[in-house]
Amino acid sequence: MDSQINKDKKVIDGKALFSANKMSANKNHGSDDIDGEQAWIAQAKQGSQSAFYQLYEKHHRQIYALCWRMLADKDSAEDVCQEVFVVLWQKINNFRGESKFSTWLHSVATNVVLGHLRKHKNWLQRVFSIEEQGTNMAEPSVSLTDDSTLMILDQHIARLPERARLVFVLFAVEGYRHEEISKMLKMAVGSSKSQYHRARNLLQESLMASDCISVEEEMNHE
Amino acid sequence: MSKKISQGKVTSANGISEKSLAQQVTNLPNEMAPERDLWPGIERAISHKSQQVTTDKQSNIFIPSAWAASITMVILMSWFTFSPTISEKDATALVNTQEENRVTQGQLVDFMQKNFQQQKQTLLVSYGQPTVDKLPPAMQKELTQLADARSSIRKALLTDENNADLLNLLDFTQQQELKLLQQLYRQYQVI
Repeated sequence: MDSQINKDKKVIDGKALFSANKMSANKNHGSDDIDGEQAWIAQAKQGSQSAFYQLYEKHHRQIYALCWRMLADKDSAEDVCQEVFVVLWQKINNFRGESKFSTWLHSVATNVVLGHLRKHKNWLQRVFSIEEQGTNMAEPSVSLTDDSTLMILDQHIARLPERARLVFVLFAVEGYRHEEISKMLKMAVGSSKSQYHRARNLLQESLMASDCISVEEEMNHE
Repeated sequence: MSKKISQGKVTSANGISEKSLAQQVTNLPNEMAPERDLWPGIERAISHKSQQVTTDKQSNIFIPSAWAASITMVILMSWFTFSPTISEKDATALVNTQEENRVTQGQLVDFMQKNFQQQKQTLLVSYGQPTVDKLPPAMQKELTQLADARSSIRKALLTDENNADLLNLLDFTQQQELKLLQQLYRQYQVI
């Protein structure tokens, strides 16, 4: 992982300008934030729940986003996000500060999510390595109208077959390398790459299809 | 969040361009807000875990002692129950081989006493559990004298370590007591 995950690259519409302005205005306070986080980590290691809450408050939305994208289910994502912070509480003493805290936390979260997925596979899926979802996008697990607050791409990612989705999220969104993904998902590096290409093709097709539908709807409306 | 997707190729037969997909991936938000408040559940869980850790720490103190006690108990039980040097030899042989077996005199006396009581009980059961009061008074007196002698020898052995002669005497007294009982009850049964 290391420096591949650049968590500060948050750029989205109006928020981007706001964030950029805030970053430049608070440039000198950046080190203060880091120092504050280091203090919370140190206190949490000593058993301070209030310091741990500060860490939760700062990071839980990012972790929830990761959980949601990997699991493609709101309820599971909320439960697993909670589990991540419980595991974090137990393992925070293992954080030695060799990488950024957020990077380390993301790796903890990824492991918890993958563990959750392994636990919840039924015996048939385990024995025959059958994917939970179909191999096509015909029957999506998440309707495009399920959650209007989600980005369109997120809705399409949620409809990908499980392994393709996991590889796509870990590679394209979280910034892991295929070598790392192959170890996490216990698959060959080549399989990770092919799953990524499969996910990308499926996304391109489904995004195009949804664009066509929207254009048709607009024309009908007119 | 590192959003990496190849933006080089623009062609795609049935879908949107790779550039467009890459742009959308870059625009994905880093954060999403869960609908429900997740903190209360986390707080409950970590409080529970903290309590568990405290309890575990307390119980950890007793675990080594408990293990040590259990292991000692098992070794002693096995030694007394299955040790071939004791269970398969008679008391006389044990007295003679006491030094070889590295058994203390106290352990040997206890073993002999238990062995004697078992043999006596088996003998009495075989004669239908008769009581001593049905024997003639002279016989009762003789049995009492033998039992007293046995008891005195046992007491002497507890204070006199490594006295093989006393051990042999204890064994002899016990055997005499058993023989007498056998003779008396056989006679009594016949009568």
